[in-house]
Amino acid sequence: MMSPNSSWESLRYTVRKTYELVPLNVSTPSLCHEVTVSPRFGRFRTKADLGMALTSDLNAVIMEYLISEGYPEAAQRFALEANIEPELDVDSIQERVEIREAIASGDIQNAIEKINELNPQVLDQDSALHFALLRLQLIELIRKATATPDGDITPALTFATTHLAPRAPTNQEFLEDLERTMALLIFPPDNLAPPLAALLDPALRQEVAQRVNQALLLSQGERTKATLYDLVNYRSWANQKAMEAKKEHLPERIELGFDPAHNGHESSPSSSSLRQPDPMVTGWGPY
Amino acid sequence: MEKLKAAHKTKLAAQADELLSRSSKPGSLSTSSSSVSLHKMAPSHRGMTYEIIERQLEVGDDGLTPLPSKWAETDKNAGLEISADGQDVKFVGPSKTLDHEAASTRSDNPMPAQCGIYYYEVSIISKGKEGMIGVGFSGASASLEKLPGWEPDSWAYHGDDGKSFCAATPGKPYGPTFTSGDVIGCGVNFMKGCAFFTKNGVFQGNAFRDLRDVRIYPSVGMKRPHAHLSVNFGQRPFMFDIDRMVSREKQGILDEINAANVSNLHPTLNKDELCKALVAQYLSHDGYVETARAFAHEIRAEATALRGTHDVKLEGYLSVEEDHDAMNRQQIRTAILDGDIDKAIKLTNTFYPHVLQENPQIYFKLRCRKFIEMMRQSTDFLDNSTSKQTKSITTNGHSTAVSDDGFEPDMDLDEPITTKDGGQHNGDDWDRMDTEEAVGGDNWGLKYQTLLEVIIRYGQELKHEFKDDRSKHVTETFTDIFSMFSYPDPRKSPQGKLLESEQRVPVAEGLNSAILVSLGKSSSTALERLYKQTVVLVDMISEDGGPGSFINVRNLLQSSRKSWQR
Repeated sequence: MMSPNSSWESLRYTVRKTYELVPLNVSTPSLCHEVTVSPRFGRFRTKADLGMALTSDLNAVIMEYLISEGYPEAAQRFALEANIEPELDVDSIQERVEIREAIASGDIQNAIEKINELNPQVLDQDSALHFALLRLQLIELIRKATATPDGDITPALTFATTHLAPRAPTNQEFLEDLERTMALLIFPPDNLAPPLAALLDPALRQEVAQRVNQALLLSQGERTKATLYDLVNYRSWANQKAMEAKKEHLPERIELGFDPAHNGHESSPSSSSLRQPDPMVTGWGPY
Repeated sequence: MEKLKAAHKTKLAAQADELLSRSSKPGSLSTSSSSVSLHKMAPSHRGMTYEIIERQLEVGDDGLTPLPSKWAETDKNAGLEISADGQDVKFVGPSKTLDHEAASTRSDNPMPAQCGIYYYEVSIISKGKEGMIGVGFSGASASLEKLPGWEPDSWAYHGDDGKSFCAATPGKPYGPTFTSGDVIGCGVNFMKGCAFFTKNGVFQGNAFRDLRDVRIYPSVGMKRPHAHLSVNFGQRPFMFDIDRMVSREKQGILDEINAANVSNLHPTLNKDELCKALVAQYLSHDGYVETARAFAHEIRAEATALRGTHDVKLEGYLSVEEDHDAMNRQQIRTAILDGDIDKAIKLTNTFYPHVLQENPQIYFKLRCRKFIEMMRQSTDFLDNSTSKQTKSITTNGHSTAVSDDGFEPDMDLDEPITTKDGGQHNGDDWDRMDTEEAVGGDNWGLKYQTLLEVIIRYGQELKHEFKDDRSKHVTETFTDIFSMFSYPDPRKSPQGKLLESEQRVPVAEGLNSAILVSLGKSSSTALERLYKQTVVLVDMISEDGGPGSFINVRNLLQSSRKSWQR
């Protein structure tokens, strides 16, 4: 177990010394204003090498995201284009991608087999995840059965009794989930109450796929979540805390400043050179 | 102290490692004498590491926040004697005093609030008569004529009755009494605004609350002869496992962060989409076009599988494939990196007609780079001819075909190059000439001669074009690049390194930034901004010991590396 405070604080200090990332006086309105519209200036006094270090750190964040979230093609391209040489284990990404795709397309049986091929302990140790997958499989069977008026619901019923019913009593949530899922057989699929409709929504498959991905990463000893997600959370949290502490001159909203024209329509030279105002000021523009 | 700080600075890395191993045996008091002296050089103890968080107003020249390190000779009651190393304090005052009279001292520096939790320990070597000893903290103005806690702006835990005293209010029953041989710890949690004490490593609960905006110093006081205390400001291991408390606080913060609602970041995108958008924007902004395309492709595949239909319309934030602008820049960058400067100029003038006009220095660099590229090819020519290889040395061969986006896959480079003054260049001869294949063995000398003539003509023209610019930069650059002519093999000239292909990179970067600026785009990505804003915000909420004290954004960033760089 890492000793969090001591070591990271040492590093934190080192970083400041190395890169001179020195915050200036907070209460200076003009400076603080600049932070919000343009964090490149203002509170940051940065050495030239900070740019380089930051670029490579941010590249690392991107790379980690592509690997962890399972975008092998992009990860390989990125290694080339950004000239970084990780020992990229494309196969292990690919395995996770295939599982994700199987889940996404509703081929749960295939996904479960693939997970067990990779590491049978993953589902053995996480009964909730296993149940979620089986329930997803049940939902797909029900979806198939109810797609046509004279669809056969026997496979769905058989599957529910053999695979889900024995597990349900072990956990109150499992039981409720199973009951709710079985209700799909009763109600017509085109007019479902929101909780039931959610079961048929692809978002559920996506959610389970993400859980599986995290479980697989964990079983491989990796971080379960890309740093990028943490960074986004840190940013939101710190902003909220600073607001609560009523820090002076903190604007209501600090823009991330995506470029406003992120589509091809304004790339013609005339319109782009005329385009106003500065995205740094307007922040989030239309997409 | 200066020396100590200097030593500290140089040993930070080693310290971090040591801390890791050290904290694995919490509560250990056994420290060999050698390690004690080591710690005096580099105060690597967990408690001491808090000092590395700086405070803007208080930082010294070296950027370190001074920490309490010893009892202050200048901030003590006359009835106390402080040892040479500042760690021990003894009562030497009169044995008969009035009831309320006592003698106190404070440390040399205040507790740094930015550390989140500050902690120190005091060993009671001797309690003196009655054990009237107070361990706590006080503001700089609190009188030292009494025990801490008996004065306004002072707080303490007293050994004789085990009570806690808060700023001259009557004592409250708090903990057990303490006496000779006991170790009393005092901690302040600046984030929660509370203070606690420990006795022999055992937590005694919170003694004081609502400590807000306090600037306080560790302080002890005593009343009777022979009372003798020895302090540990973190130079040695603590008896109490402060690390655990800190990591518990940190865990609480991390849980809070994990549960953070990220909806304040973007009005429409959820977290998942936001992350994808950040990645996509980063890739296309920084010109990783191939990656951006692959990413969009894989996202599309993901969405297709999920929706069960191929008719998936990607959200606008992911529309990298339509981003002609990024591809234009990529094309220009590639042209320069391939050494095809004319193509880069032509593409730039096509897509961004004002950029070169508005950035004459970049235009100049490009034109000079073309000269260098010609020199470079003359050396290739030499090599190829000697090895009798018939190898095409065209500059055109590299043109990147972009057929799927509506652009002409092959820019017609035989067309006269139009520069900003509309003139036509002799350099075009170059293009025509070098497209001829097969440099024959028998006439290579003649060819080479022609080649050099073309280069010279281009050089003259270049000089003519910038004849009005008398700036030092221009003249010096000319001297440098033309000097290569004096050498049979330009690669061996002092300026030979200009010929290396890596030298194309800064030219490409310069042009890329100029184009971005001309487009009114920021030169930084949304991800970079997100990160920098986070650093600033976390700093804001660490200043007074707020929750930011417990987290480190920079470390977070670097942790991303660990998962794939081993």
